[in-house]
Amino acid sequence: MHAIPGSGAPAALSLLLGGALGIAFECGRFCFFCIFRDLIERRQAGPLYAILTALAISGIGYAIVFGAFLPNPASGRLAPDAHIGPVSPALALAGLVFGLGMALSGACISGHLYRLGEGSGSALPALAGALIGFGLGLRTWNWLYVTMIAGAPVIWLPNLIGYGGSLIVHLLVLGIIALSLLRWLAPLAEQPARAITPTYLRTVLLERRWNPLVTGAIVGIISVIAYLRIEPLGVTSQLGSLSRTVLHNYGLLPDRLNGLDSFAGCATQVVQTITTNGWLIGGLITGSLGAALLAGRFRPSLPRRSSSLAALAGGILMGWGAIIALGCTVGTLLSGIGAFALSGWVFGITVFAGVWIGITLRLHRWV
Amino acid sequence: MNTPTLRLAGAALAGALATLAIVTVISVVRPQTNATQLVQPATTNNAPVSTANAPREPRPFDQVVVSTDWLAANLNNPQVRVIEVSVVPGLYERGHIPGAVNFVWTTDFVDTVARNIIAPERFQELARAAGINNDTTIVLYGDNYNWFAAWGAWVFRQYGATDVRLLDGGRSKWEAENRELSTRAPSYPAGAFTVQQDSSLRAFLPDVLKVVYGEADKVLVDIRSPDEFSGKIFAPEGFQELAVRAGHIPGAMNVPWKKALNDDGTFKSVEELRKLYADAGIDGSKPIITYCRIGERASHTWFVLSEILGYQVALYDGSWTEYGNSVGVPIANPAGTVWGVK
Repeated sequence: MHAIPGSGAPAALSLLLGGALGIAFECGRFCFFCIFRDLIERRQAGPLYAILTALAISGIGYAIVFGAFLPNPASGRLAPDAHIGPVSPALALAGLVFGLGMALSGACISGHLYRLGEGSGSALPALAGALIGFGLGLRTWNWLYVTMIAGAPVIWLPNLIGYGGSLIVHLLVLGIIALSLLRWLAPLAEQPARAITPTYLRTVLLERRWNPLVTGAIVGIISVIAYLRIEPLGVTSQLGSLSRTVLHNYGLLPDRLNGLDSFAGCATQVVQTITTNGWLIGGLITGSLGAALLAGRFRPSLPRRSSSLAALAGGILMGWGAIIALGCTVGTLLSGIGAFALSGWVFGITVFAGVWIGITLRLHRWV
Repeated sequence: MNTPTLRLAGAALAGALATLAIVTVISVVRPQTNATQLVQPATTNNAPVSTANAPREPRPFDQVVVSTDWLAANLNNPQVRVIEVSVVPGLYERGHIPGAVNFVWTTDFVDTVARNIIAPERFQELARAAGINNDTTIVLYGDNYNWFAAWGAWVFRQYGATDVRLLDGGRSKWEAENRELSTRAPSYPAGAFTVQQDSSLRAFLPDVLKVVYGEADKVLVDIRSPDEFSGKIFAPEGFQELAVRAGHIPGAMNVPWKKALNDDGTFKSVEELRKLYADAGIDGSKPIITYCRIGERASHTWFVLSEILGYQVALYDGSWTEYGNSVGVPIANPAGTVWGVK
């Protein structure tokens, strides 16, 4: 089963989970940038509840899975391969840069992946930019590692207060955020009684944007299943590995990327094959394409030159940030916070700040 | 830009700077946890090896190597404790042989600071927590052809476990046969395992040098690939631990570890194994020292020669990364590789 990476049952399951994730992302417009922008520009908090729900559900699921994977967290060990990273100024900087890149390119990396399925024209330059950014991240890794990351603490809440305590704190923090955002929710419209017909189901399931709570719950459940069966959710590992392999083959990487492979996160490696993460990404794009086709949202478009350039530049910033932060909004934010890692929160907050600064500077004008 | 926008920008920048400041403060004031931990080297670990003990009678093959069938039938046997030692993180947790205990080789079999095997007191704690007694039948298995399961077997035997076995074919055979896996963490009442050290199973650099200088009549077995043995390459691709000299210890015989296995990862028969090593001049008439690069693959051959064939064998776990880095020791380098010169 595990003899050949990227084959057998884990690969098949990754493909399925990726497909489910693509459908949920597409039907729920689970795009971190759009969600943040709705809050920052329009004072609409509704979509953000998708992220909060995803984090709450994955926290509950992770706590259950952790109990089996590492029964005693007080031992000081970390749960195997959960995305718990070092908390360093480099992480905060990576979050800010990633957020700026999101504003510039109009979506985060997972957002661009699902929009690729919708035929978005700026997804390709953004992802190409990300590949370049990964390369820059790998080239600057050694310096940042020695100056900031190597000595940084890896803080995992369950080591300090156990799984129960961590889950209480986790849900408390999310609950406080959710409550404080209630005032930015649009009032619920009155709805007439509806007959549940196939046409109505089609409208609700495909055409209308899913309720954020539903989208978030589905993303949270997929995140837990992925951790239980394969590895924590993340979308940059295969793409980062592609950059690493190309640079490695052309001799453009340092002979040694100090410590990079010893951290849990969206690990890159020199590979010649499709990893399980590659199957996940393939599934994500395919799932999104399927949902978009069924809902009539598949609209292939060519981007304008200015928005292509902005997407490329934003992609570069995001790629750099994703290497230094050991993952993106999915790998470090979602899988990290869900796993009670402080690194996830630091990345989440700084990404949000980066998006905020980017929007204030109107970096998203080309989107 | 209008005033509210500027105010927003100011707030966002302030928030970002505050986060940056908090993170910087955390990373500056945090206690130095990992760096300064001192380790008391176990005095017995560094004692010279006594090779005085007589080779023990070889035990029947099926009492040293268990088949997947045997293990499946003995999963509920309270006398048997199954231990997984896999290299890939998360492999055990996402499904292990039901009831198996997880031992992580980087923390549970080696010292995390000094280059040494795990300290006896710490190992005793871990073994007891796994519900192990000195007479428990310990069955180890893992990924990667049982490399680190064999390393674990070597540590268990050194610390006084009498009945240590490997699962034939390791984890991959169990999986290939579609046998049951569990994600539940087992828990057992504490065992009473007490460390009784058998230092004859471990060799140090001075022991090896005695053989090189002809002061001890032993056979050295280098189990690395022929290219590492000849000095054509310093280490297999992808491995970071290096020696600044290539080649092998003078007088060593080269029998790559994998020759002891069939294609499906199971051990060859006792007769085949005996012949394999006898053809290289290793027949058990002299004490044996096995080595490789860091000691992990050589523990596999140690298991074959010592546990299956019953020869008197010590593992030189310092291996080539110690020997090839040592100053003033003689080296055989048929390939003539020179460090740093193309």
